[in-house]
Amino acid sequence: MRSINTEVSPKIAEVIEASIVEFTAQCYELYEVPPLGALVKTGDIYGIVSNSETTGLEPGRKPIARGKDETSEEAVYESSPQLSKLLRSHFTAVVVGYKRDDRIHQHLSPQPARIHGFVYLCPPEEVEEFSKSFTFLNILLNAYAPIPVEELIFATLKQMGHVRDDSRSFLVAAGKELAKQLSSNITRLKNILEKLK
Amino acid sequence: MSLDLTKVATQVINMIAGLKEKRAEQEKRLRYALNTINSLPIDLDDLKKKIKAGRTTWLVAEITEGLNLRYPLPPLPPDFTVIAADGSHIDVDRHQSTRCYLINTGAVALTYGSKPEATLSSTPQLYSEDKDLAITPPGGGREQMVEGTVLGVKRSVEECKALVDLASSLPPQNPALALLDGTLILWGLEAYPDFVTDALLINGMLKCLDTLKGFSKDRRLALASYISYPRSTDVLNVLRVAICPNDVPDCDKFCPPEHGRDCEGLNGVRDRDIFMNLLEDGERSALFISPSKIVKNYYNEHKVYFFYLRVGGEIARVEIPQWAAENEELLNLTHGLVFDQCQRGHGYPVALSEAHEQAVVTGADRENFRELVESTLTEEHLPIASSGKSASKRTRWV
Repeated sequence: MRSINTEVSPKIAEVIEASIVEFTAQCYELYEVPPLGALVKTGDIYGIVSNSETTGLEPGRKPIARGKDETSEEAVYESSPQLSKLLRSHFTAVVVGYKRDDRIHQHLSPQPARIHGFVYLCPPEEVEEFSKSFTFLNILLNAYAPIPVEELIFATLKQMGHVRDDSRSFLVAAGKELAKQLSSNITRLKNILEKLK
Repeated sequence: MSLDLTKVATQVINMIAGLKEKRAEQEKRLRYALNTINSLPIDLDDLKKKIKAGRTTWLVAEITEGLNLRYPLPPLPPDFTVIAADGSHIDVDRHQSTRCYLINTGAVALTYGSKPEATLSSTPQLYSEDKDLAITPPGGGREQMVEGTVLGVKRSVEECKALVDLASSLPPQNPALALLDGTLILWGLEAYPDFVTDALLINGMLKCLDTLKGFSKDRRLALASYISYPRSTDVLNVLRVAICPNDVPDCDKFCPPEHGRDCEGLNGVRDRDIFMNLLEDGERSALFISPSKIVKNYYNEHKVYFFYLRVGGEIARVEIPQWAAENEELLNLTHGLVFDQCQRGHGYPVALSEAHEQAVVTGADRENFRELVESTLTEEHLPIASSGKSASKRTRWV
């Protein structure tokens, strides 16, 4: 069994589904989902947010339109305060690595995340440390995601660039790595590089 | 074999044709009822006396004021809270060796106004000890098993206890309404011995109502139960008495079954039909008092009053205890908040519907519960005995 999370930074979500390749986590606060491409961590496993959604808590209960007579969107929630307890925001993260003996490994973890494992948004210094290597790009390129992989990679690199003083050179380096990995798929490479410009 | 709908379809068509034929007659009876209620004298003392003296085979509401009075929707307070509880249960399965039952109580508190807030919870409670499975008469004797109707009553008591818990933690400044689904009257107990009524009504439900009444002294707290699409005829039966040609109505004496009755012209009309024609959206009817024997014998200060409320295209029956009915502020609070809850809940009080969602035990839940009991028995190396009938229903073969 994997070790239990002992992080001290504020947890944002909890794992409710997990496999070797990805995990899904329910956010503690409605709509407070990490951005697409954000690096998150549960236990010693790293994941990149590949999708998020807000739905009814129970599969059989669909939200209905409520705001026809309301003046603002806030008023919809104020006049039905139970909504915040009946809706949930959750996100899925593609597993891109794990930490073992203080070393980051950018490949799939031997075991999936723990159900009910707490999920944390990685702080900037950890994002910076993780993105010193681009091996994770290969996992993303081959990931099964409900969004186009090009969009996922673009969002991830943008997020990782934000934490650096010199995001330009980071993106250039990432582009070079992508050029190596996508040498046989020029169209795809072009798509990503266009977005990174 | 599943239900053969082709064979049922013809029967359904015949049923609907029969209903269609009766519509004109029903309409005539409803008009008669409306004419009667609108032509009653303002002084109702004679009618009250006639009701009191009458010996009818049906229950007649006690009247407190003009039957056709209408009260407009009162304004809402700026901040208020609605609490509600509802329950669901898994009955004792006599085909299983493990005797137990489960009550799942859903509880909801919704606060509206300047600080909107919601609390939703459910509490499942398993009962398996001897004291839970049967109610024993004092001094011994034949005990009453807690299952079927009695379990349904126990569930109502648990719902009321959940309301007490919710009410005890309410912020004192907000006016509040405590809501239950269905009736406040534990009709089911009428068929059981007194010691069952003692256990479930006097030491159960009424104790909870005492506590809620106590809370209402320090704060504005009303209590109501909500009956959607009620079938009751308590008020219609007042009209039967009103048109009865005998000074003292006595059904058995003057109108034995083989004789026609004057009041037959009102057959098939329900209170909701009358009030659907009398009330505008949001209006409530006059207050009436339940004529139920169990209320008269046991409820005392919690004597059950009721009014009808027009909620869009439906008439609902709202039952309230005497202490809430005789306090105009609480009565208006109940009227306003019940209607508001129905508006927010698209025709049914949203707090009750959420409490139900919290409490509901689905078919799959029941199966999971049974499997949990069986797997735990297996882990403890205890035998799993069940009846052949139960096994044959679960394992079907050709």
